[in-house]
Amino acid sequence: MDHSHHAATGHMADNSTTMPSHHHHHPTTSAHHSHGGGMGGMMMSMTFYFGVKNVELLFSGLVINTAGEMAGAFVAVFLLAMFYEGLKIARESLLRKSQVSIRYNSMPVPGPNGTILMETHKTVGQQMLSFPHLLQTVLHIIQVVISYFLMLIFMTYNGYLCIAVAAGAGTGYFLFSWKKAVVVDITEHCH
Amino acid sequence: SKMHFIFSNEVVLLFDFWSVHSPAGMALSVLVVLFLAVLYESIKVGKAKLLHQAVVSMSVLSSQRLVQETDQDSSASDSGPAGRARLRWFFCHFGQSLIHVVQVVIGYFMMLAVMSYNTWIFFGVILGSAVGYYLAYPLLSMV
Repeated sequence: MDHSHHAATGHMADNSTTMPSHHHHHPTTSAHHSHGGGMGGMMMSMTFYFGVKNVELLFSGLVINTAGEMAGAFVAVFLLAMFYEGLKIARESLLRKSQVSIRYNSMPVPGPNGTILMETHKTVGQQMLSFPHLLQTVLHIIQVVISYFLMLIFMTYNGYLCIAVAAGAGTGYFLFSWKKAVVVDITEHCH
Repeated sequence: SKMHFIFSNEVVLLFDFWSVHSPAGMALSVLVVLFLAVLYESIKVGKAKLLHQAVVSMSVLSSQRLVQETDQDSSASDSGPAGRARLRWFFCHFGQSLIHVVQVVIGYFMMLAVMSYNTWIFFGVILGSAVGYYLAYPLLSMV
């Protein structure tokens, strides 16, 4: 059943009109190499589908086969997307807080007529080796990794998981940006 | 699997029904994808402006409330202007969250469209992003 779309012409159109969407997820024991025109790996779904059978999620051991497992995966992905939004907001507020700290350096400087003047230097921002900057870097890596995970999850083209990503992002944005907006309102008076 | 960009008039984009065979269909698909990219850039700017407007109106409302309270010598309660402002803020923020969902979904759609490795579609996404950014971002600095 899997072979009919491996026509040498490699028309993706055949894939969509003749195959039911579940076809994408029958376990294939033989290696199916892509044929014609670089159309991509045939084991991957290339269109959206709603399915619960044999859904591989990110890692090799993680395969969803039942509705219950899909529900669990939905919740996990939802929470991951929510956490991602929260992490973005948290990093923004951390950055703002650490940049509010201004360092003043006063140093004596020779002035006219032999007097000594105090020159004050103002530095805004983070030092390279300061804890806030190192923390920001670590959080940045976590954010990048999670964003790639979410992208890969969306790339499974599984409708349930994609909805989980979108809903989690929306809920996370709603919950965490609410607090951010209040903070913006207070700290940026005379906006 | 070997994947590389190809020029082709055949592609299946995102959904089973979006199956393209002909140059006309491809041209239309490129236009749709282009429009999606323009929309994505516009939504980013629109969200920022909406947030700005909401914050401004909130500070206007809270200063108004302050004036009212000092005039009337009454304690603040949940009813009246304070409660209405909070409700308004809730709806405004809920609307923003919906817009955020749309933005996230369109962003992923664009990524998946590029993943089709069809060079025309890719050009559509890039051109749409350029046009969208060009048209929308100057609006950010406008009050």
